[in-house]
Amino acid sequence: MIRFAARRLGFMLVILAISSLIVFVVGRLAPGDPVQLLMGDLRDPAVEARIRRDLGLDRPLWAQYLRFAGRALQGDFGQSYANPGRSVNTMVAEALPATARLAVATVILAILLGVPLGVLSAVRRASAVDFLARLVALGGMSLPSFVAAVLFIQWLALGWHIVPVSGWGELRHYVLPVLVLLVQPLAYITRVTRAGVLRALPEDYVRTAHSKGLSPWGVLSRHVLPNAAISVITIAGLAFSYALTGAFVVETIFRIPGLGQAAIGALFLRDYPMVQAVGLLYAAIFIGTNFLVDVGYAFIDPRIRYR
Amino acid sequence: MSGGAELLAGPPLPAARSIARRGWILRALRRDRTTVWAGLILAVVVGASLALPEVLPYRYDQQSLDHTFEGPSARHWLGTDQYGRDLLTRLAHGGRISLLVGAITVLAEIFLGGCLGGIAGYAGGVLDEWLMRLTDMMLAFPALLLALLLAAILGPGTTTVIVALTLAGWPAMARTVRGEILSLKEREFVVAARAQGASAVRILVAHLLRNAVHLIVVRATLDIGPIILTEATLSFLGLGVQRPMPSWGVLIADSFQYLQTAPALAVIPCAALSTTILALNFVGEGAAEAMDPSLRAAP
Repeated sequence: MIRFAARRLGFMLVILAISSLIVFVVGRLAPGDPVQLLMGDLRDPAVEARIRRDLGLDRPLWAQYLRFAGRALQGDFGQSYANPGRSVNTMVAEALPATARLAVATVILAILLGVPLGVLSAVRRASAVDFLARLVALGGMSLPSFVAAVLFIQWLALGWHIVPVSGWGELRHYVLPVLVLLVQPLAYITRVTRAGVLRALPEDYVRTAHSKGLSPWGVLSRHVLPNAAISVITIAGLAFSYALTGAFVVETIFRIPGLGQAAIGALFLRDYPMVQAVGLLYAAIFIGTNFLVDVGYAFIDPRIRYR
Repeated sequence: MSGGAELLAGPPLPAARSIARRGWILRALRRDRTTVWAGLILAVVVGASLALPEVLPYRYDQQSLDHTFEGPSARHWLGTDQYGRDLLTRLAHGGRISLLVGAITVLAEIFLGGCLGGIAGYAGGVLDEWLMRLTDMMLAFPALLLALLLAAILGPGTTTVIVALTLAGWPAMARTVRGEILSLKEREFVVAARAQGASAVRILVAHLLRNAVHLIVVRATLDIGPIILTEATLSFLGLGVQRPMPSWGVLIADSFQYLQTAPALAVIPCAALSTTILALNFVGEGAAEAMDPSLRAAP
């Protein structure tokens, strides 16, 4: 188990290093000279040379990358181009909580709703619950988040006036964004749980459990669900990624001061340090989630450890 | 319930499957009404997107500021937008763009994924291991983030979207192809071809990839929906198709601020996009089931 985890950890670090290289290249290949951006209308060769030296832009590319990676490891991404005098770190630190809260709330709700729905729909196949679950699954996968946003805003905010359209800070402001973020993860979790349970139901060990007199609930909770859990764990990891990338759209629509909106905004303002910081942070979160999912597998299913 | 019987029967033997495949597809389709209906809807969307811009008397960027926010009429069947542009014309043009981006991306994905997956599966060894590691890495990256970073380098635009979606999409295709090649390459007909002195390229293309075509088609059909969806999302964010060129994502993004006063401007493109993607998903799943009966137990 520990060897397995160590191997995955090594792999994770390699990918992270490659991601940092990609993010560094983004900053260098991107059009526009950062020195010009920082200087604005000022035309002074001496100042320009000094900024260039301060940013380390006068050194060879590999040295620039090492400097970038070294600083990134310490969590330092330098100054924002768009907001002079502000460090990217503060900007990320300000934006992160909103996105993180939305993502965590979404994943928890998606699991709490999706797993029971998937199990029920598999056990009561071809029933009304099953129909509902399949509708949620296929509909959710076909519904882009901004289309879901249009629908929810129309019904809940403009039609029934239950929740405010936008704003941030209070609990009621979470309702619409979380609902919109929830659509796709809920669809995938429901679908995968249903498929996992359907796959486990005809197995011999389930029949054995039934014939030894275990209650239907006992069979489900002790034999069927643990075997369906693997796929649900993968998808829960994926759901977290969905919720984080969904932030790009949802935060833009609902004007939520989170990482997604900050990243899109930075992209249009050519604030590359900010784009790099968010890019690398996201990459680190995705790779970390994948790692946890892999180790989670091995923890639940002993067969994987020995592969 | 028919589900139990299907599960007991299990998937047919591989040899029987390959001989009877064509009959299977037709018979499965005849039973699977949903897929046929979804296919018809898709055909209507494709037909309308291709034909309408040629037939309708408006250009997609033709403004008419005297006729803004008009409801449906004989002149403008779906009404007009905030600049008095004909919504139906823009919707059809948007459909063209979405479908074109989807088609180009899927073709690029088939080429890249097919080549690399084929080589990885056939060559095996270190090359296989590293290529699969690469796909692992790419799969860990969400398409949207990749597109965002690419947009920083290339600038926003349709090309950026196609490149980003291809980069995000090929790993899944490569894995599908590799898996099939791995199981095919030990079969007798490949051994026979090798014994006859066929070159590696010939074996790979004429024998292995050709027998994996059904899987590639299924994978591609399943991929088009998410591709069009991501294109719409990127265009919605302003990173994809650039105005005044319409795409469904652009149409929805632009109508957002008029949601209260002119909801039809948002709802109509939303309906077009969702219907198309839903139909694509149904057709993809139908094709997957028709070509691979073992999938039929899944939802």
